[in-house]
Amino acid sequence: MEPDTKRRKGTEYDTDLWDVLPVLSDEQSRDTKLLDAYAAPITEKRETSRLVKELAVVYPLPDLQHIKRVRARKDKNAPHPLEVIVCLASDVSGLESQRSTLADLLSSKTIDSRGLGEPFLVQIPASPPLTRPQFERASKHWPTSFHEDKQVTSALRGQLFSSSEKAKMGEYMNAAIQAARSGHALGMDAVGAVIVDPQSGQIVAVGHDCRQGTHPLHHAVMVCIDLVAYTQGGGAYEYEKYPACRYSVPESQVTTSHDDLSKEGNHCSSDKAMENGQLYICTGYELYVTREPCVMCAMALVHSRISRVFYGAASTDGALGTKYKIHCQKDLNHHFDVYKGVMLQACEELLDLK
Amino acid sequence: MRGQAGGAAGFLQPPDSDVQSWMAKAFDMARDALENGEVPVGCLMVYNDEILGKGRNEVNESRNATRHAEMVALDQVLEWSRLKQLDPKEVCKLTVLYVTVEPCIMCAAALRLLHIPLVVYGCKNDRFGGCGSVLDISSDDLPHTGASFKCISGHRAEEAIEMLKTFYKQENPNAPKPKVRK
Ligand SMILES: [Zn+2]
Ligand SMILES: [Zn+2]
Repeated sequence: MEPDTKRRKGTEYDTDLWDVLPVLSDEQSRDTKLLDAYAAPITEKRETSRLVKELAVVYPLPDLQHIKRVRARKDKNAPHPLEVIVCLASDVSGLESQRSTLADLLSSKTIDSRGLGEPFLVQIPASPPLTRPQFERASKHWPTSFHEDKQVTSALRGQLFSSSEKAKMGEYMNAAIQAARSGHALGMDAVGAVIVDPQSGQIVAVGHDCRQGTHPLHHAVMVCIDLVAYTQGGGAYEYEKYPACRYSVPESQVTTSHDDLSKEGNHCSSDKAMENGQLYICTGYELYVTREPCVMCAMALVHSRISRVFYGAASTDGALGTKYKIHCQKDLNHHFDVYKGVMLQACEELLDLK
Repeated sequence: MRGQAGGAAGFLQPPDSDVQSWMAKAFDMARDALENGEVPVGCLMVYNDEILGKGRNEVNESRNATRHAEMVALDQVLEWSRLKQLDPKEVCKLTVLYVTVEPCIMCAAALRLLHIPLVVYGCKNDRFGGCGSVLDISSDDLPHTGASFKCISGHRAEEAIEMLKTFYKQENPNAPKPKVRK
């Protein structure tokens, strides 16, 4: 740990006070759905591979590739150490009784049931587990295969980022918090945002909510996006009245002086960069914002091709986790990772400012 | 056409002949966008039979991916309200948006935030649509995101789709480059 971080113990920079947690898709975070199935003990172990082969023919489980057909009983004293899935309950939905016998299940099938005991109902996971918590929950019901994404696993444990990375995040979020306070002093909602170029570590734009007085849609994120446009020779609005809203052209980007960046200015260098595909608005940039973005702002970030978003506090109609997860919405052409909880307490305190 | 415009929104909906002439103007805007290398979407904001705002996409021009036709036109409505010293929200509550393509998720949220009650649009927006195609921001329960709004869709839909197709064909690197305003 850096000595600098230690010295600030107990302050907002104390990276032990908050966790950076991923905002995963519903598929990754929900409880896995379960299906009713019939399993049966294998009473003669040497029949196992033959039974598995024959069952796969008469009762294939095509959408359940993740399910292991045979499981070992954990209980060492169990009379039969292995159990096999015979079929899904839906495969034999014509059967009236919940207590079907082996003969019921296999009546119309050509299979040698030698070595199979009487069936019983189990529940098996309907879809493959995507995260370790889902895998652990699924395994309680029936064993499944699992292709682990190590990054997601460590993100869910709050261990994806080192303490020095967290300290850096804290710095960016602190800049957003300062902007929020500046805005609040001018009568705005206390929301601040910062756009960062992670390659250089440089802050490209800082903005705060500017709704009161100027424009009801000037949420902090929208302001930041427009300030980034200024660094590329564009931009749509004026922010002179708000000194805390500012931008700086990334060193890596251009040698253009600020005088050239007026709306009618020379776009040549940016045009070239855009043609090379290096620079489409917010491509490669990261956003830090004190409060979870609303639908408008979240979709504006999709349109702007932001690469990652970090926010502090959740918000009621929030679109990056609370109400929607627009960053992983199917059908949209751009997706990005979202993390929440950065300097959570300081960001939540801003929500209470009236 | 889809959607029942009831209540205030129904009251605001003009007769078919008017809808046609407003939409014709929105299509003119969309064509202007296409000719300038922008996604061909055009729109009109109409209040008491008066056009308060006209917009077309200006994303490339402004280097700002949020400069959709609707956002551009909303700016003009807000400016008009400011000059007339009217409460923009009261003006928006009586303003109808005519737009060639279903508003995207972002614009649908912006329209909600400003209490626009009625949107008349041409074709669906399968890529980004916020009025039912990808998400249903126009009518979902979002108590902190303004007010829901009604939609009437389908006016000159094929023509709107054709324009989008023309644009995306141009965007293909193997196709001839569009004329981009420098
Ligand atoms: Zn917002
Ligand atoms: Zn839009």
